[in-house]
Amino acid sequence: MLRRAHVLFILVCAAPLGGALLGCAFAFAQFTAHEQSAAERNLAIVVNLSNPVNGLTTADLRRVFLGERGHWPNGRRITLVMLEPGWPERDAVLSSIYHMDETEFSNHFLHGLFTGEVFVSPKTLSTPEGVRKFIFNVPGAIGYLRASDVDKTVKVIRIDERLPGEKGYKLHVPPRENR
Amino acid sequence: MPDTSPSPAQPGGRFSRYSSALLLFFIFCAVTVVGLFAIRDLRRADMQEQNMYTRSVQSLHRIADLEYQTQETRRSTLYALSTADSNLHVKYADQSREADHLVSEGITAYLTNARTPNEMDIGRRLGRDWSTYLSVRDEVLASILEGSTKEAVDLDLTKGVESFDQVRDDLAEIERVYDQQASQQLSTVDATSRRTIIRVAGVLAITLMATIALVWTIQRIRMTGAIQLAKLQMEFVASVSHELRTPLAVISSAADNIADGLVMGADDIKKYGAAIQNQSRQMTELVDQILLFSATKDRKNQAALRSLDVPKILHSVIQQASELVRASGFQIELEIEPGLPPVRGDASALARCLQNMVINAVKYSGKSRWIGVKACLSHSQSRGQTEIQVAVRDRGIGIAMTELDRVFEPFYRSPAVVAEQIHGTGLGLSVSQNIAETMGGHLTVASELGAGSVFTLHLPIAEDSRSQVPPETQVDGTEK
Repeated sequence: MLRRAHVLFILVCAAPLGGALLGCAFAFAQFTAHEQSAAERNLAIVVNLSNPVNGLTTADLRRVFLGERGHWPNGRRITLVMLEPGWPERDAVLSSIYHMDETEFSNHFLHGLFTGEVFVSPKTLSTPEGVRKFIFNVPGAIGYLRASDVDKTVKVIRIDERLPGEKGYKLHVPPRENR
Repeated sequence: MPDTSPSPAQPGGRFSRYSSALLLFFIFCAVTVVGLFAIRDLRRADMQEQNMYTRSVQSLHRIADLEYQTQETRRSTLYALSTADSNLHVKYADQSREADHLVSEGITAYLTNARTPNEMDIGRRLGRDWSTYLSVRDEVLASILEGSTKEAVDLDLTKGVESFDQVRDDLAEIERVYDQQASQQLSTVDATSRRTIIRVAGVLAITLMATIALVWTIQRIRMTGAIQLAKLQMEFVASVSHELRTPLAVISSAADNIADGLVMGADDIKKYGAAIQNQSRQMTELVDQILLFSATKDRKNQAALRSLDVPKILHSVIQQASELVRASGFQIELEIEPGLPPVRGDASALARCLQNMVINAVKYSGKSRWIGVKACLSHSQSRGQTEIQVAVRDRGIGIAMTELDRVFEPFYRSPAVVAEQIHGTGLGLSVSQNIAETMGGHLTVASELGAGSVFTLHLPIAEDSRSQVPPETQVDGTEK
């Protein structure tokens, strides 16, 4: 009789503990998936490691991407790097920073270079890896990558004082599809 | 009067017998030592060659790899100049960086393996110059990627070429250092090889010379022996002829006188008969001596050995010789230790042996007219056995030290004895020695010129009588 009471007591105590552990594991898995998903969805603005700039405002970022600013504060020439058309990251940049479509983007740079209002001609690369390597090799380069594609060879700068993943960060990209 | 104890001379020339073996041993030692040196040198030269080869190959591989990767670094950078495609720019920049990473690793490996201060200096200089070039290369790459091709070309021509040439000079310097080291190692190996060749040639020369010397020595020993034997045989023939002719002449003249009727009286005839009888006996004895030598020369022809009583045979010999001894006016002092055990041997041969020793003593005693004969039991330290020693001592002319070894040689006669006109065949002692050896014993001699000689016959006691020998005699070999 006494033994049965012990077993019941253990069961009563163990059930909530097991449930709590399962809940924690589920929550952790959910959190990790969420984090990964957030890294997939955030668009990071990256520069060369030697670039002294650590952050830009949205307005400054737009000026840089539009080619209206030619040099960094250290005197290095700004080199803009874009992915080829068709990449979600490019679409996100066009919509979030340029507020243009592909045609307007092309016309802007053709017109700007012709009139001398634009100082930078964007370089177009076919892969995010190419973008990362380009920025690694060029001290004045600036480009964009999914936060999940960023590694230690490039530097992520703050936009309006926020890094990708932080609350209020404005640059996002749709989840990656199999290309 | 010399004693028997001090180092009796043994018959035969030992040096001549063992000289060839000794010479062979020395040759073997010399050849072995020099051969070991040669083998050591060969092994050292072989190891040096292996090390030199391995080091040279590794060095060549390292320097070739470094040269290739430095060229690859620059080539990839220059390839980027040949296109306007940003993707290709990135690809070539990537290749250039991979190559420069390998170059940096190669320089580190070179510095790790550098052994001399000079190598370290060159390695450090290469590292510095390579870093300088890489900084220029990075700028050139950045310019290319930015699209500023002209700026990249200008930068490469003004700074890149110069710094890269510096790197190439450093690599050429490393090659020169490797060449110098290889030359030094080659000269070392060459010197070692030359030394080895000289040593091997030395070994061969020594071996050749030693072989020639050995063959020459053996031939000389054989030839000397043959000449000596021939000479002794000639002397023997002359001696025997003389010994035979003298009694023959006496017999012949006595017979002539009787035949011619010159001997008339009975007393004269009796006197002549006695002379003929005496001379005939001498001739018979001489022939017997020669035949006995011939018989004892062949060791296989051993007489049946049986247990012998030495004192009895000794008494018999003294008795037989007493007539001769008395006629010559000699006095014999005989001393026999009581209770001597028997020996194994042939009675007549032993008697002949002892007889020869006594007759020799009579012949060479000179004017002293005294002979001492002593038989006793003794322990031979050299042979480790108990034996009976029979010593026949005289106070005669003695034997020179230089001749002691030769008196047992057949047909040998001392020049002094020949000069003294003492007749003999030179076979007596040789026969006695042969007899002694047939019975498991030996004969020794001790002598002093002008003082006399002692000839000692050593005979091992019979096996069955060893247990009867008193223990104290067996242990120390001295008489109690």
